[in-house]
Amino acid sequence: MLVQIAHFLSILSTGLFFTTFLLSFLLDNKDRNITKLISRIYSHGFLLLFVSFLIYVFLALNDSFNVLYIAQHSNSLLPNFYKITSIWSAHEGSMYLWIVFLCLWGFLYSYFVSPEDELKAKALGIISLIAVGFLSFLLFTSNPFETILPVAPIDGADINPVLQDPALAIHPPTLYLGYVGFVIAFANAISFLLNGDNKIKWEDSVRIWSISAWVFLTVGIALGSWWAYYELGWGGYWFWDPVENVALMPWLAATAFIHSLSVSSKSKLLRIWTILLSIMVFSLSLFGAFIVRSGIIDSVHSFANDPERGLYLLSFAGILVVLSLAVFSYRLPSLISNKNIVSFSKESFISINNIIFGTLIFSTMLGILYPLIYEYLYLQKISVGAPYYNAIFVPSTILASLFLFFSVDAKWQRTYKVINTHSAMLLSGILSLLITVLVMFFSKISSLWILISLFTGLLVIIRYIFVIVNFLVNKKYSNPYSIAAHIGLGMLIVSIALNSEFSSERAININLKGKDTYKGYEVSFDNLELIKMSNHDSVKASFVFSDSKGKRFILSPEKRKYFTRGQITTETAIYVTPLKDIYITLGDQLEDGSWIVNIQFNYFIRWVWLSAILMALAGSFLAFSLRRVD
Amino acid sequence: MKAVRKKRLVTVLVLLLTSGLGSMLIIKALDSNLDFFFTPSEIFKDELPDNKRIKVGGMVLENSVTRDGTNIIFKITDYKESIQVEFDGIVPDLFKEGSGVVVLGYLDNEILKAEKVLAKHDENYMPPSLDIEK
Repeated sequence: MLVQIAHFLSILSTGLFFTTFLLSFLLDNKDRNITKLISRIYSHGFLLLFVSFLIYVFLALNDSFNVLYIAQHSNSLLPNFYKITSIWSAHEGSMYLWIVFLCLWGFLYSYFVSPEDELKAKALGIISLIAVGFLSFLLFTSNPFETILPVAPIDGADINPVLQDPALAIHPPTLYLGYVGFVIAFANAISFLLNGDNKIKWEDSVRIWSISAWVFLTVGIALGSWWAYYELGWGGYWFWDPVENVALMPWLAATAFIHSLSVSSKSKLLRIWTILLSIMVFSLSLFGAFIVRSGIIDSVHSFANDPERGLYLLSFAGILVVLSLAVFSYRLPSLISNKNIVSFSKESFISINNIIFGTLIFSTMLGILYPLIYEYLYLQKISVGAPYYNAIFVPSTILASLFLFFSVDAKWQRTYKVINTHSAMLLSGILSLLITVLVMFFSKISSLWILISLFTGLLVIIRYIFVIVNFLVNKKYSNPYSIAAHIGLGMLIVSIALNSEFSSERAININLKGKDTYKGYEVSFDNLELIKMSNHDSVKASFVFSDSKGKRFILSPEKRKYFTRGQITTETAIYVTPLKDIYITLGDQLEDGSWIVNIQFNYFIRWVWLSAILMALAGSFLAFSLRRVD
Repeated sequence: MKAVRKKRLVTVLVLLLTSGLGSMLIIKALDSNLDFFFTPSEIFKDELPDNKRIKVGGMVLENSVTRDGTNIIFKITDYKESIQVEFDGIVPDLFKEGSGVVVLGYLDNEILKAEKVLAKHDENYMPPSLDIEK
């Protein structure tokens, strides 16, 4: 009964969103009372949807296996936490959550933004239209409310064990909050284009929303990377898998967008870029939803194949993008600014940044789509792997960092003379070179790309440290958020370079109570025990590591067998030190009783996520500082 | 030609040239880093160079898995042809005889030296182009 109520509420909310859309396009937007009315209808639509979602959570918690989706993805043995997270462990439920978040952003926007804002009514109308499109998709092609009649199964089929993990439980919600958060910027940009009054500063009102969404996207991607590292047992943080790439593209576009936004909200320069990027970020988020959910691309993370869903999503996203671009090009002539961008001003550097990010997005898109095109043309399956992405991303990132290095002291709308800051630049150059040469000397790095990356990463970090010093000593104001985020970028480059240079792995064959050595560590296989848990059996091995200085630690990797699906998973064991992770996975047992064990030394891997966290923190503090105090 | 027009022409030309050059570089990077995907029958049908990295998908042939220390040797089959694979390392949890697998590696005397062995994290997974037969 409850599930029908939830189903009905979500249909009702679709109706209210459709009304919001119609009214916002039919009524006069300049009247603040009408804007108020539209916000109110929207908020009620959201409220109904939210209640329907809460009912769904309640159903999942109470093992309502008469609901088909819950029966397929949950199980009575699951801890309560995973009963809730099982909702977004597959297509229907995760789409549901995606839509709830989309409407949540709209609700917060309608609550916090004053009805005096001329763009508000239409922006809400556009958000509603998108909500209607996705809710119809949910209700017609992927209904999570479907029930099993007449008799409900006794127990559910269980959530996939690799998804029973705290990081993965919060990874999709965070990522979705990021993806759909850019709907505010998108809707405002389109509302601005439709309005036709160039004096309206839509850029100011969307900054806080876009930066918050960017923070969620950054954290979401980092969480996914961290989860893949310790759960999948491959020992890396990024695999250039198509599904990772479709998350990376909106992130790149969003990063370019928030940079461009800061220019356009100060002066009206780069307005066209900013509008185009806002359309791009949201389109890429929709494209991501299409790629992941259509089954068009084969990936470890994709959901089950369904051409009907893919076709719906592609047409809906396609229509939205084409319409937005049509409005954009119609209004383009009036947007062209007669002010020129001064060379060596901050704006000039940010436009270069936009171009580099655009190239990266284009290349990533090509890497995703090329196999599809190729197969269609030549009937030959191909895949594009890491070497391609490295060939593009490494030089582009280095180039972007060099421009960043030169832009640190650039001024808004004015050219700057290198002579004024050349001492700081020269010193950072010398220091970075010195450190790079020292590292090269002591660790015998021979790869030129690694050395160049290390050098540019250090260049960025040290340059910003000088900015901090200048602030502390001379009280020269600088933007603390920019400093923190860019030091994060420098750290990211350095840690990726060092990680790919130093990390190593080896598979060993070892008997219980046997010994082996790897990279100065003595490894002894001490113990093996069988543990019975509520929903799985586990084989737990204990390995004692000791180095020549007498430091000892124990690592206990596991192999688990889950009852309901009979699935086997590997749990890695990791010993974390500031510089490196010692990472061990348990393989198969051979006929002679010995075990295969894989040992990896992953250098600087923690620093990769730490850099992402630093960027996200910088973003959150910036968003916090932007909130209007009224 | 007026100065304004000339300037515009130069801008357009520079834009075309740089974006053309950029696209060329990207496509070149793409072309030299493609992994071709084959089924075992296709490998024996086509003449393949030994030093090209390829992906081979199929099922692990029943009773073909042997191990020697950390080395594992098995055969991938599409139930018409099969090819021998050698790999040093840990195979994924879902790797078992009679189930789907994708191997990335180099061909050496009709033996596939594997760099990576993948099984999808979904027990319903079928390698592409095999789903019709079964």
